[in-house]
Amino acid sequence: MMPLQTTHNAPVGPPTGRLRGLLSAPATPFLAPAVIYLALLTLFPFIYNLVLSTTRLNLARPGQGGFVGIDNYVTLFGSDLFRIAILQTAQVAAGSITLELILGFLIARLFFAVRDVNGSSLLRTIYILPMMLTPVVSGLLWSYILNPTLGIANYLLESIGLSGFAWFSSGRTALITIIAVNSWQWGPFLMLLILAGLLSIPSEQYEAAAIDGARWYHVVRWIELPAIRDVLLIGLILRLIDNFRLFDIVYATTKGGPGTATEVVSMFAFRQVFQFFNIGYGAAASVVILVMGVLLTTFAVRFLRREETRVR
Amino acid sequence: MSANRLWRRGALFAVAALVTFANVAPLIWIALSAFKTRLEMFTLPPVWIPSRLFLGNFTRVLENNLPYLTNSILLTTLTTVGVLLLAIPAAFALAVFPMRGKKDLEMWILSTRMMPPIAAAVPLFLAARALSLFDTIPGLVIAYIGFNLSFAVWLSLSFFRQMPHEVLEAARVDGASWLQVLTRVAVPLNRGGIATVAVFTAIFSWNELLLPLFLTSGRAKTFTVVLTEFQGQTNTVWEQMAAGAAIQVLPIVILTFFVQRTIVAGITMGAVK
Repeated sequence: MMPLQTTHNAPVGPPTGRLRGLLSAPATPFLAPAVIYLALLTLFPFIYNLVLSTTRLNLARPGQGGFVGIDNYVTLFGSDLFRIAILQTAQVAAGSITLELILGFLIARLFFAVRDVNGSSLLRTIYILPMMLTPVVSGLLWSYILNPTLGIANYLLESIGLSGFAWFSSGRTALITIIAVNSWQWGPFLMLLILAGLLSIPSEQYEAAAIDGARWYHVVRWIELPAIRDVLLIGLILRLIDNFRLFDIVYATTKGGPGTATEVVSMFAFRQVFQFFNIGYGAAASVVILVMGVLLTTFAVRFLRREETRVR
Repeated sequence: MSANRLWRRGALFAVAALVTFANVAPLIWIALSAFKTRLEMFTLPPVWIPSRLFLGNFTRVLENNLPYLTNSILLTTLTTVGVLLLAIPAAFALAVFPMRGKKDLEMWILSTRMMPPIAAAVPLFLAARALSLFDTIPGLVIAYIGFNLSFAVWLSLSFFRQMPHEVLEAARVDGASWLQVLTRVAVPLNRGGIATVAVFTAIFSWNELLLPLFLTSGRAKTFTVVLTEFQGQTNTVWEQMAAGAAIQVLPIVILTFFVQRTIVAGITMGAVK
């Protein structure tokens, strides 16, 4: 992991005096545009959402946007659908990340073992392509392959004597299928990070372990896991946040269905606003999602800061 | 190296090649399908390789959706330029000037990246309508830049931090203004890093679905939105969808090979190199 050092020794003396803070004269013109842009983009929606969430505003029923206090929040927390959405978002996150982690580690070991062979870096770049793919395309791609009657997947299963699945079309398998597609797309991400960690291990450590007669699980436990720990934690945090906002794959495949089988929080909020035009209610859901996101982020940022000081 | 180890290495490489093939097989399958007629797409047993190079799906998709493809290209270009113009000076300032509370500022910038776009959907939608920016390219560009900016600042920062300070110092001693230090020294020094930031911003903008889904209704629609419309309630034009997907994915495949060396830095916002 790269040491994220700060620059305590700036090239030329900064302005001294009281204004050395954020208003430090030479920095302001460079920083201000980006900071103001980001501030507007984060503060304005939040405040506007808070205001809207106390109203009954509905674009389908104009003129009825009266103040309702915390009614929307009460309805939201009493809503089975919202509870299901949160639960299923957590299930997708847990399922996907576990799958990506196990496969990622195994495949990173594989690429690590052939790292000196000509062509292995080309192979690696091809392997990680799904990760760069437009998420909506990976959704569409899999709904084509996994189409219960026309798709190639069931044909292949049946041709080797197994029975096909309903995949996205059945309430029993839809969420698992979402998890599988999500892991297919993002598995290369953790794989790549684990590989970067493995590649940072000095070869002497492996040689020393071989001389000491260490078994493979000793090597994994005492050399490899410590080496990939930091990289992996960053990757896990990013994946956690990604899963929390999962939308594109669900929108392209099931739109939350069948029934409520694949309802996730982003899909829930999206439908409240842009299908039912429940602006007030959707805004309340947005506030709750944002607060949950902020909690996740605070945890992540705290953690990254601690790691950073530790590494330094 | 002993023959035995060489053999083992070869076998492992074959396994790696097989795993790689399995992982991208779905992509190959849809690419092949894009060249099939509707009949060939759904015969059983399946037609693996299309009998001839049938381009009808591509021409149909482009005939019907060229303006939306142009929108996507335009949006990607404008967003990338806008993001670079805002992010590079900011990253430069954070890397070069000492400031109180800088760490907090950096962390705040990072945290804005974590905001789920859906949480901003209602306000952005209403604001866009009120400002006549709904269903316009400028409206989308403003939103796209906002959601890519913090990523770009962080990734640029991770490159700018590695600049040797002596070079900047020398430029200052020669009487260069800070703006000149940025444009004549820092930017050329970090050309590779800036290219990485540009490519990732471009890929993210190109891939975006949620923002155009609620900020457009027709004219400014992007190609990603078009892709979702091939799948209808009653009838799905799979062959056109496959061609559309191939068009959408081709630039990404090219760009991925272009940034393969810095991909780890890119996807972790510079936290891992």
